[in-house]
Amino acid sequence: MERKVVNVGYGKVRRVSIGERLPLVFIGGPCAIESREHAFKMAKDIEVICQKIGIDWIYKSCYDKDCRSSPTSFHGVGIDEGLKILSDVRDEFGLPVVSDFSDSTWGPSTGEVCDLVQVPAYLCRQTSILRSAAKTGKPVLLKKGQFMSPWNMKNSVRKLESHGCNQIILADRGTFFGYNMLVNDMTCFPIMAATGYPVCFDAGHSIQLPTSMGNISGGQREFIPHLVRSATANGINALFMEVHDNPDKALSDANTVLDIKYLENILYQAKKVHELRLELLDKLGEDNVHPKK
Amino acid sequence: MNIKDVMLSLDKFPVVTKDVIFKEVLEEMGNKKLGIACVVDENYKLLGILTDGDIRRKILSIQKPLSSIFIDDCLDHAILSPKTISIDDPIIMAVNLMGENKIWDLPVVENGILKGLLHLHPLVNSLLKSK
Repeated sequence: MERKVVNVGYGKVRRVSIGERLPLVFIGGPCAIESREHAFKMAKDIEVICQKIGIDWIYKSCYDKDCRSSPTSFHGVGIDEGLKILSDVRDEFGLPVVSDFSDSTWGPSTGEVCDLVQVPAYLCRQTSILRSAAKTGKPVLLKKGQFMSPWNMKNSVRKLESHGCNQIILADRGTFFGYNMLVNDMTCFPIMAATGYPVCFDAGHSIQLPTSMGNISGGQREFIPHLVRSATANGINALFMEVHDNPDKALSDANTVLDIKYLENILYQAKKVHELRLELLDKLGEDNVHPKK
Repeated sequence: MNIKDVMLSLDKFPVVTKDVIFKEVLEEMGNKKLGIACVVDENYKLLGILTDGDIRRKILSIQKPLSSIFIDDCLDHAILSPKTISIDDPIIMAVNLMGENKIWDLPVVENGILKGLLHLHPLVNSLLKSK
């Protein structure tokens, strides 16, 4: 199986390569764009931490949160204002950026600005969204739906490929375990990596308790470090975490975003575990426990 | 009578490309009512075969959910060096090969390219008619 490398970044921003045997990449930022000032502050603060640790990263924030449980929840700043802010973050910090999009007609403008376009987990098998993502010509971050088996993600991969996309990152954000509960099946990473594409772990959403609070989702942030260490040791190529400077006041996913004060500690561990895994692979070779035929 | 006269043409038995999923191969075997599928590349080079017997053994052997096996590329589970017969070989050679290996299907190839399938039933019928 050919292992592919996904290259993110165009124009004047720094290039980030994601793939097996490459350094771990961080994808993060506030769940939703709240304001220009806040977006810039978060980019600046995260950049300082990533520079200190020595980890490449991609700024993530969304302009429209279309999967809110409540009709009164913050929906986002909107596509025009949001993409302008993301474009300014690119220019100001030289960072590649990613946003998801929930309506196929938003694909072209999202792809025009963003270095990486994200397909939301709930929409991971929607042909119109996948077609629109592929047509942007940008790499695609494809979240595994909470309701999907990792092996069935191959169908979504093939939909993207059929529309010309061969730069795909597959991400796990947990799998439904009954109602209002998610679990992480760590075998999903080698299973999805068998497509040949890099794999990513979304730690913040994995500790989510979907719509457990009646009209919003809860979450158990205390498990983020545990899951990050597990997933990184397992063999992910990118780590995704939403980060906020004041989670209690976050306008989206307040119960799952990570307080930025913990970011350095967690990223440091993730980087070290990732490097140890690569070191062991160099020393011992690839895993040689083969399945029954 | 030679192999070319008796073999099934390519449209009469399951022929699939390597990235067709396992479940679709099973459907094609059902549609064509044959217990063998030949896996080929875009130039019809024979890459492997799947037979009813191979599939029975795999279902018992592979320790993963059936839904997971269904989405696998068929080549992942194919027998990669199957017994074949050349289109120019004598029929008696094919009959002996089937008997020795207890098989009733032989892909017919010419320089590695799949040309047809020798299936035991039409072969026997042809031999009986020719007596």
